[in-house]
Amino acid sequence: MLILIKFLRDVPAVLGAVIVLSVAALAVVAPLVASPEAVFDGNLLERLQPPSSVHLFGTDNLGRDICARVMVGSRGALLVALSVVVLAVAIGVPAGLYAGYTTSWGSELVMRITDVFLAVPQLILALAIAQLIGKGLESAMVALGLTYWPFFCRTVYAETRRVRSTLFVDALEGIGASRSRILMVHVLPNVASPVIVRATIGMGFTILTTAVLGFLGIGATPPMPDWGLAIAESREYLPDSWWAVTFPGLAILATVLGFNLLGDGLRDLVDPRLRRSR
Amino acid sequence: MQRRLFLVGSLAAATASHMGGFRMARAQGRPGELVWADNLPGGLDPHVIFDVPMQFYMLNIYDQLYKYEGNPPELKPWLASGHTVSPDGRTWTFNLRDAKFHDGSPVTAEDVVYSFRRMLATKRGPSAAFLPVLPPEKVKAVDAKTVQFELDYAYQPFLSAMPLVCIMNPRLLKANEKDGDWGQPWLASNAAGSGPYMLDAASYKPAEALDMKRYESHFMGWTHNPRPIDIVRCRDIQETTTRVNALLRGDIDATDSYLPTDQVERVLRAKNVRVIKDETMRVMVIRMNNKKPPFDNVNFRRAMSHAFNYRGFISGVLKDYAVRNAGPIPQNLWGAPKDLKPYEYNLDLAREELAQAKAQGAPIDREIEIHIQQQLAQTTQAAQVLQQDLRKLNVNLKIAPNLWPNLVSSTAKPETTPDMWVHWVSTYFVDPENWIGQMYDSQFHGTWKASSWYKNAKVDQLLREARSSSDQAKRQALYEEASRIVVADAADIWIYNTVQIRGISARVEGYKFSPVGSGAEFRYMSLAS
Amino acid sequence: MGRFILRRMLFVVPSLLGLLVLTFVMLRVLPNDPSAALAGENATPAQIAAVRTAYGFDQPIWKQFAVYLKQVVHADLGTSIVTGRPVVADIALRLPATIELTFCALLFASAMGIPIGTLAAVWHNSVFDHAMRIVTVGGLAIAAFWFAIILQLVFSMSLDWLPLRGRISVGMPEPAPVTRLLLVDSLLAGRLGVFRDALLHLVMPALTLSLGGLASIARFTRAGVLDTLQKDFVGYAEAAGYRRSRIIWVYVLRNSVVAATTQIGLLFGALISSAVAVESIFDWPGIGSYAVKAILTSDYKAILAVTLVVGVIYAIVNIVVDIVHALLDPRVAESL
Repeated sequence: MLILIKFLRDVPAVLGAVIVLSVAALAVVAPLVASPEAVFDGNLLERLQPPSSVHLFGTDNLGRDICARVMVGSRGALLVALSVVVLAVAIGVPAGLYAGYTTSWGSELVMRITDVFLAVPQLILALAIAQLIGKGLESAMVALGLTYWPFFCRTVYAETRRVRSTLFVDALEGIGASRSRILMVHVLPNVASPVIVRATIGMGFTILTTAVLGFLGIGATPPMPDWGLAIAESREYLPDSWWAVTFPGLAILATVLGFNLLGDGLRDLVDPRLRRSR
Repeated sequence: MQRRLFLVGSLAAATASHMGGFRMARAQGRPGELVWADNLPGGLDPHVIFDVPMQFYMLNIYDQLYKYEGNPPELKPWLASGHTVSPDGRTWTFNLRDAKFHDGSPVTAEDVVYSFRRMLATKRGPSAAFLPVLPPEKVKAVDAKTVQFELDYAYQPFLSAMPLVCIMNPRLLKANEKDGDWGQPWLASNAAGSGPYMLDAASYKPAEALDMKRYESHFMGWTHNPRPIDIVRCRDIQETTTRVNALLRGDIDATDSYLPTDQVERVLRAKNVRVIKDETMRVMVIRMNNKKPPFDNVNFRRAMSHAFNYRGFISGVLKDYAVRNAGPIPQNLWGAPKDLKPYEYNLDLAREELAQAKAQGAPIDREIEIHIQQQLAQTTQAAQVLQQDLRKLNVNLKIAPNLWPNLVSSTAKPETTPDMWVHWVSTYFVDPENWIGQMYDSQFHGTWKASSWYKNAKVDQLLREARSSSDQAKRQALYEEASRIVVADAADIWIYNTVQIRGISARVEGYKFSPVGSGAEFRYMSLAS
Repeated sequence: MGRFILRRMLFVVPSLLGLLVLTFVMLRVLPNDPSAALAGENATPAQIAAVRTAYGFDQPIWKQFAVYLKQVVHADLGTSIVTGRPVVADIALRLPATIELTFCALLFASAMGIPIGTLAAVWHNSVFDHAMRIVTVGGLAIAAFWFAIILQLVFSMSLDWLPLRGRISVGMPEPAPVTRLLLVDSLLAGRLGVFRDALLHLVMPALTLSLGGLASIARFTRAGVLDTLQKDFVGYAEAAGYRRSRIIWVYVLRNSVVAATTQIGLLFGALISSAVAVESIFDWPGIGSYAVKAILTSDYKAILAVTLVVGVIYAIVNIVVDIVHALLDPRVAESL
C-alpha cells in the first residue's frame, strides 16, 4: 500500500503509466474502430490530403487514412517491443543467473560472450540477421532481442553475485538446500525488480530502435501500418505534407516517453539508493 | 500555407528576422563555380564501375570514340573522326582526331588499344557488352591514328556501345600499376582522361565530394561556349528533403534528375530555381519469373498485367511526370511499335484471366512475393498499388524489401529469382538491344536484365537476326515483331517511360539533356552573373 | 594499478576476436554473394564465376576468415568491393568527422544535462523536477530524423542562421589535415574563418545527436547530487555558514559528477552508432553515413571494418571508464 502511495506521488511516473495504459487500450480497440479497408486500401487520387474531418490526421502517399494506420500501428509496436523484451529476458536472465552463481570457466565464457555482444553495433547485427533470415519485422525482432539480452545478463549477474556472497546463501548451502531451490526461491526474487525496470525501459527503447531500423528498411515491410516505416516512407514529402510524418512521429514520442517515465518511476521505487533519498 | 502552419506549430519562437547578420555565404553568386548535387559513382574507374552516376562522370572527365548527343540521342563521332565497317559486319576501323590527354600527351591509336584491352581485362563494368564478341588481341593499332577491331561475329550494336568505353592515358596508368593490376586501385580515386574537365584528385572524398577544373586544351575547343564554367564542385546529398532545401537556399545549383514529383511543386513555387523535365529512355518494369508457377501460365501473367492501376500510378502518384509504355522498348525509340496497345487496368478482365488460369491448374492461391529496392521509394509505391488491387482479386502479394546487389545475384538462377521484382532499365546504350534484346533473348538467362526467364524460340530468332543485321529498316521491323509477341505473352508488366525531373538554379544556362548522362554535361553550361 | 590496466586490456583481445568472428560469419553466410553485382551489367554466369574465384568467395568460409584475420593483424581492412579503395583510407577520412560530432554532442548534452540534473536534485519532486524529466526523456524519445528536419526548416530555411548540411561550406579550402578534426586543424592553421564555418555546421547535427544522451546525463547527475546531499559534509558546510549555492555548485557537484562522468563515457559509444540517421540528414561525412552506404551496397568489407572500428572504440571507452572507476574506488581493481 505504502509503495502505491509513493508511486502515485511521482507525477511523471503516473503520467507514464497513464500513457502506457492508453496505448495498450488503443491497441485492443483499434481493430474495432479502424477497418482493414481504411488501413490498407488507399485512393491514389486522394493521396497526401491534409487533416480534415474525414481524415483526422490526413492521408499518406498512397491515399490511406493516417489516423487509422497510427491506431492500428500501436498493436505492432507493442507486439514487437514485448517480443524483443521477452526474448532478451529469456536469454539474459538464465545466462546471468548461471554466470553469477557459479565460478567455473563456463561463467567466465558467458560473460565474455556478453561482452562481445555488447560491443556489436546493434544496427549492424540487425542487418546481418536480416540478411540471414530475410528482411522483415521478425528478423528485426530477433536482432534486437539478441543485442538486448546482454543488458539483462549483466544486471542479473551483478545482482546474483551480490546475493551469492551473502551469508545466508552459504548457510543454505551448508544445510543442503539444492542449487535450483536457492536460485528460484532466494536469488530470483532479488533480481526481479531490476529486471522489471530494465524491461519497462527496454520496451520504449525497442520501439525507438525499431523505428530507426524501419528508417533503414530493415524492420517492418509495407503495407504494415508501422510507425517507423510510415516516417521513413513519408519523409520525402516534407515539409509540404507534414502530417504524414508528424502523427506517426508523435505516436512514437508518446509511447516511448510513457515507457521511459514509467520505468524511471519503477526504478525509483526499487533502487534502494534512490529510495533513501526520497 | 500548410508549411507555414507546420513551422508555426513546430517552433513558435521563430521571430528574429533582425538576425540577418548571421546569413551564410552562398554557393550561388560565386562566379564561375557550379555546385552540382547529383549522386557520385561508387569509384572513379569507368572500366570497373558502370552505372548511371558513372555516366555523368565519364562524360566530363573522359572522351570516347563515339558519343551520344541530344534527345532522342544521336550517335556522333567524338575522339574518332569516323569509321568504316567491312561488308561482313565484323571488321570495324576507326580514325582518330588530334586530341591531348590532361597531361598534354597526344591520344594515339596505341592508347585506344590499351584502353580497350584494359576494359576487357577488368571483366567488370561495361566489359560485358564486348567480351562475347571481342577478344583482346583483336584490337589493333593500324597506324598512329587508326584502330581496328575484328569481331568474332557480326554484331550491329557494337557502334552503339562505343560510348561506354573511356579512352585512358596508359603512361599515367602504367606508372601507377602494381603486379599487373592495370592501375585499378590507383584509378579508383584518380583520373587519366582527356575530357573537357579535369579531376581535382585532392578534392575527392568517396560518396561525398569531387571537384573538377576546366581543361582548356580539350580537343573540341571551347568556341561553342563563350562563358564556360571553370570549376564544378560535385556534392553527394543523401536525403531528398535536404537536397531540395539546399537548392532552394542556393547552396547548390542542381539536384539529381530523379526529383520526386511531390517536391516539384515546392521547387516551382520558389524563386531563382526552375524545374527541367525531359522524357528520357528508362522503362519501369515489374518483372515476373516466367519459370515459377503460377507465372508460367500466360493467363495468370495477363491477369497481373490487367491488375495494375497504371493511370492511378502515373497520374496520382507521379502527377503525370511519366509516359505510359506498352512494351519493353521505350516508346520514343525506334523498334517500339507505334500502334502497340498497352494492357489496361481492368479488374474484370483480370478476374476472367485468373479464372482461366485456375481452370488450367495454375496454383493461383499461393502467396506471391514481390521484391522492391528499399532505397527507391517508387518501387515500394508500385508494389503497394499492385498489392491493393490484388487483394480485391484474393491474390496474396507479399512485399519483400531488398537491395540491388542481392537482387542481381539472386537472378542468376530461376529458383532464386523472386516471383516478381521492380526495377528500371536505363539507357546504357541507345539501341533496342539494350532493352528487348538483352531482356528477352534466352541466351542472356542468368543476368538481371533477363530475369523473367522468358523463353520463346521465335523471339530468340527475331532478336538474333536483328542483332546481326546491318539494315536499319529490317532491324526495326524485327524488333517491332518481337515486341508484339513479348507483349501478347505478358512476359512482364511494363509501366512507364520516365520523365526525368531536375531542379536547377535559374543562373545555369545552356543545359542540354540527353538520356545518356542525364544532361550533366558541363561543357555546354554557363552561369548568368 | 598497472597490472589492472594490463589485465583489462588483455580481456579486450578475445572480445574483439569474438566480435570479428560473429560479424564475419553473419555477413558471409548470406544466401547470395556479391560476385554478380561486382561483375556488372549483363555479366554472364561464367563471368560471375570468374569474379567469385578472383575474390575468393568460393573458398570455405573459415579460409576466407583466416585470410581476413591475417589482413586485420596487418592493419589492412581490405579493399572496398564498391569503391575499389582501401577501406582503411575511407574510414580514416570519415572517422574523425564522427568523433568530432559525437564529442560535441556529448558536450552539449553535458552542458544541458548536468545543470538540469543538479537543479532537479536540489528541488527534487518539484514541478521543475517533473517537467525536466519529461522534457529530457522526451528528447530521447523523439525520432531524430524528424527533429533534424524541423531544425533545418527553422534555423536554415526560415531564419537562415545556420548552414543546412555538410561539415564545411562548399568551396571553402580545408586546413592542412593534422588531426582531421576540422575544429582543431583550423585553429592549428590559424584560420578562424574556417573554425567559425565548421562550428556553425556542427550546431544542428550535434544538437540533434545530443538529445539521445541528455536524459541519462541529467538522470545520473540528479541521482549523484541527491546522494551527495545526504552526506555529512554538506551538513557541516551548511553549519559552517557557507552559502548554499556555493555548497551545491562547487562541493556537491564535484563529488557527484563522477557517476555522471562514467555515464558520459559509456554514452560516447552509444551515440556513435545512433549517429547514423543524423549523419544521413545533415550529410555529415562520418562513418554512420558510410555504414549506411555500405549496407545499401552490400559492401561487406566496409561493413566489417565499421563494426570492428566501432567495437574498438567501445572497448577503449570501456577501459577508460573502468580505469577511472578503479582510480576512484580501489576495490574495483581488486575484484577483477
